[in-house]
Amino acid sequence: MAIRKDANTLTVAERAEFVAAIVALKAEGIYDQFVLRHANAIMSAIHRAPAFLPWHRRFIFDLELELQRVSGNPNLGIPYWNWPSGGANASMWNDDLLGGDGDAGGVVRTGPFRAGQWTVVNSSGLPAGPLMRAFGQNGLPTLPTQAEINQVIAVTPYDVPPWNMNSNPSFRNQLEGWVGPNLHNRGHVWVGGSMLPMTSPNDPVFFMHHCMVDKIWHEWQLRFPNQGYLPTSGGPFGQNLTDPMNNTPSGRIGSRPIDVLDSNALGIIYDGAAPQPQPQIPLIVVGANPTSADIGTPGEIDVFRFEVSSFGPHTMYTTGPSDTFMTLFGPNDPNIEVTSDDDAGENLNSQITRNLSAGTYYLHIRLYSASAAGNYAVGVRAAGTSPTPTPTPIPDLVVDGASINAAISAANESDVYRFNITTEDTYTIQTSGTTDTFMSLHGPNSQIPEIASNDDEGVSFNARIRRQLPPGEYFVRIRHYSPFGTGPYSIHVTRG
Amino acid sequence: MAHHKEMFEGCDIEIKDDINLSINGKEIHYEHDEAKNKWSSKYLPYTQYDSLLELARAIAQHTVEFSNVKK
Repeated sequence: MAIRKDANTLTVAERAEFVAAIVALKAEGIYDQFVLRHANAIMSAIHRAPAFLPWHRRFIFDLELELQRVSGNPNLGIPYWNWPSGGANASMWNDDLLGGDGDAGGVVRTGPFRAGQWTVVNSSGLPAGPLMRAFGQNGLPTLPTQAEINQVIAVTPYDVPPWNMNSNPSFRNQLEGWVGPNLHNRGHVWVGGSMLPMTSPNDPVFFMHHCMVDKIWHEWQLRFPNQGYLPTSGGPFGQNLTDPMNNTPSGRIGSRPIDVLDSNALGIIYDGAAPQPQPQIPLIVVGANPTSADIGTPGEIDVFRFEVSSFGPHTMYTTGPSDTFMTLFGPNDPNIEVTSDDDAGENLNSQITRNLSAGTYYLHIRLYSASAAGNYAVGVRAAGTSPTPTPTPIPDLVVDGASINAAISAANESDVYRFNITTEDTYTIQTSGTTDTFMSLHGPNSQIPEIASNDDEGVSFNARIRRQLPPGEYFVRIRHYSPFGTGPYSIHVTRG
Repeated sequence: MAHHKEMFEGCDIEIKDDINLSINGKEIHYEHDEAKNKWSSKYLPYTQYDSLLELARAIAQHTVEFSNVKK
C-alpha cells in the first residue's frame, strides 16, 4: 500500500526517506531506466492521447514499487506536487527535498539533486550534464489554481474522437493541458529546463507532478463512477481499453489501461482525496424564456437539465452571438448521449429537434472553438403542445386481463404502462407481434428505479420479463430496440 | 520557398523550403497543427510553438540531445 501525501506536508524524516530512496535508485541505475522508458516511448502514444493517464499511472506506480524496495518501507508513496500551494517559495523546493530553482544559467545548485550530485541522462542513457530548472521563465509564469483544477475535474466524458490534442470535450485533454486552463503541461513548462523534453523524468519532481495528475484523475473517477475510460474500442492501437500500452513492460500488474483503472486495487491511497459533491445542475423549464449563460473560460462546458413530462417533439436551442455546440444526454441518465449539433440554429447557434420520451434530459453546451469565450442563452420548447400541456394518462395493464394493442409510431418513442399487484408472486410481462421491442420494468410505486430490462426473451424479437414482485404499483416502458425503429405490438401481464 | 540557417545555443539550425528542419545535420520530424497554426515535436511533448524556427530554437536549447552540456 502506498500512501501519497502533499509534498509540502512531509515531515523531515519523510523527506529524508524519499530523497534517500531516489538517490539509491539512481546509484543502482534503476532511476535512469525509468528516464529511458519515458524518453524512448512513442511520444504520441503516451501524450496527446487517451492512454496519457493510464500510461503515467502505471509508470509512477512502478517507480513507487522500487522506492518501497530500496527504502524497506512498503507504505512509501510518491508525494504529490499540489500546484496551488507549490510555487517557488513552497517547502518542497527546500534543500532537504527537491532543491530550488536553477541559477542564472538554469543549473540547479541547491538540494540533493544539485550539480555535482546528480547527472541527467539523454535518451541514449549517456550523461548529459546537471539538472536544469527555470521557474516560470518559459512563457507560463504561474501554476494551476484550485479553481482551475475544479473546472477541469467537472469535465466529462473521459475522452472523445479524434483522441488527440484537439479532443473536446475531454477530461483527459483538459487535464493534460491542450484545452482549457492547462494543468499538466503547464507544470512541466513552469519548471522548465530538464522538465521540458521527453527525458523529463530526469527531474524527480516529474514523479511528484504526475502523482498530482494521477490524484486528479482518481478524484474524477470517484466523482463520476459511471464515466469510464474511453475508447473501449475503435481508437488507435495502444489507446483502447484492452490494448497493451506503448513501452510498458510486464510487471506485477498488466500493461493495458483496464489494468490500472482502479487506484484502490493498486493499493494507492491519497491523503486528501475525497469524492466531491456533484454540482447543482441548473434546470431549464420547457417552454420558458431562454436561460442566459456564458462560457467564461475557453474550453468550459456548461451543463443544464430539463424535464419532459410526456412523449413528443422537443426543440433544444441556443440564441446569441456565440458559435455554440450542443450535446443532448438522457433520458434519466446523464451519460447516455442522444445526439449533438453545431449550427442547426440561427447564425452559428446549435439546435436539436427530437422526439423525446418522458424523463430527465441533460444538455452540454460549449463553444465550437476550444479557444473562444462568449455568452449565449439556452432554452427548450415542446412543439405542438399548449403552454400547460395536460399529462397523458398512463394506460393500465390488468394482470391476467386482455392485451393492450399499441405501436411505436415515431423514432425514439417509448410507451409507458402501469399495473398493480396486491399479492406477492411471480409475474410475466411480455410483448407479442413482429416488432423488435425492448422492455424495462420500474417500481414499486415509482417510475424511476429500474428492476429489470429485456430485449429478446420473448417469442421472436419480443421482450419478456418474469420476476417475483411484492405488492405495489409497477411501470413498464416499451420502446423499439432501434432508436429509429417503429411498429405495432401487444402487451399483457400474467401471474404465475 | 525560403531557406534559413543560423547558429543558436551552439547548434546549427537549418530550415529548407520553409518546411524541412534539421539541427546539427539531423532531420527533425515535427507536427503542424493547422487549426491553431502551431508547431510541436516529439522532443518537446508539452509545448506548441508559434513558428517552426521557434520550435527549432527550443529543441536546441532544452533537449539534452542537442543542447551543450552545462558545467
